[in-house]
Amino acid sequence: MREVVIISGKGGTGKTSLAASFAYLEEANALVSDCDVDAANMHLLLDADFSSKEDFFSGELAVIDEDICINCGRCDEVCRFDAIDVIDDQHRVNFISCEGCWYCSRVCPTEAIEMVKQKAGDLFVSNIKNGSKMVHAKLGFAAENSGKLVAKVKQEAKILVLKEDKAYVITDGSPGIGCPVISSLSGANLVLLVTEATVSGLHDLKRVHKLVKTFNYEAVCIINKYDLNEDVSQEIEKFLQEEDIKLVAKLPYDDTFTKALAVAQPIVEHNSDGQLSLLIKESWESIKTIIKENDR
Amino acid sequence: MKIIFTAKGENWDSPMDARFGRMEMLVIYDEESDKLEVVSNDGIEDMEHGAGLQTAKKVIELKPDVIITGNGAGQKALDLLKRTAVKMYIGAGDMTLKEAYDAYKHGQLKTQF
Repeated sequence: MREVVIISGKGGTGKTSLAASFAYLEEANALVSDCDVDAANMHLLLDADFSSKEDFFSGELAVIDEDICINCGRCDEVCRFDAIDVIDDQHRVNFISCEGCWYCSRVCPTEAIEMVKQKAGDLFVSNIKNGSKMVHAKLGFAAENSGKLVAKVKQEAKILVLKEDKAYVITDGSPGIGCPVISSLSGANLVLLVTEATVSGLHDLKRVHKLVKTFNYEAVCIINKYDLNEDVSQEIEKFLQEEDIKLVAKLPYDDTFTKALAVAQPIVEHNSDGQLSLLIKESWESIKTIIKENDR
Repeated sequence: MKIIFTAKGENWDSPMDARFGRMEMLVIYDEESDKLEVVSNDGIEDMEHGAGLQTAKKVIELKPDVIITGNGAGQKALDLLKRTAVKMYIGAGDMTLKEAYDAYKHGQLKTQF
């Protein structure tokens, strides 16, 4: 089993569209894990059926037992998040403000405050239209993505891929450069950086690559919409050369991206003989070749 | 030499865990006594954030001379580990413990710092 993690730093570069296309091309050989749980939408492109569901718990919330509470106000004094309100002469926890830090629970003289684990979202395993499966998650409102949730998605994917003996895991990574991204990178055999020819595309590529380098992952790159700004595109290529990152492909701006999204299809399904689809197919073949060469 | 492996199992044939912060368990090999000892990293999956620092603390308290792992530690854990005398060897994520130890002995592993 080999895992390709696709990340971009910046949003809107085409990361998920490409990940879905690679998964579609590889059919039943590839398991998909969607670690972009903040804005999980790959399930739309791959027609996920949400066949199995599990609650995901993350963080805690203080809950005051009003029968035991003597309304002394110690909790209100110590709360750094201003999460204790007095309503009708009763101290109550504002569940939106509470960060679950335990301070109030520790100081409460009558032990009236219990810390309750919070459901942060759902974890799913779905059958998808390429004949394979995907592991994905949906966060609840105001729930925070975390390394913990991503690690859980990846762990489920790993168990499945070994059980079903698939050749690849294609992981749609988390955005940004924080804890969830670090978690989505873990165990990657190859990292694909998807960028676009804009100033922010290059800027975020540099940031996310710095992270990738810290962990010594091998990275390759696709420059999407390279013809938006060919000067920036050249700058990106220069950066890739300096950092010894292989350029897999330069994709032109093409509204097939948007048209395919509009009908919730991967590009290679929507317009399978189009120029863009051919370039995407070549890209996936190059990526597989790079992985095979590394194995030797 | 006291060596810590980031591991997914308890003996020489077990696979390494490529992750540092969220490693499943720490396996400690004392070359002098030729004994393996296992320290669990249970509970790390319950941490939303900061797994790297938490595990680094656990590792430092065990006072190893060498850590052998896969991808290496992240920035925060790295800052902490660099202040100690420990040496960190990476690139053993796809090996068994035995293979990782042999690779280390033959100088085939890179150092992270």
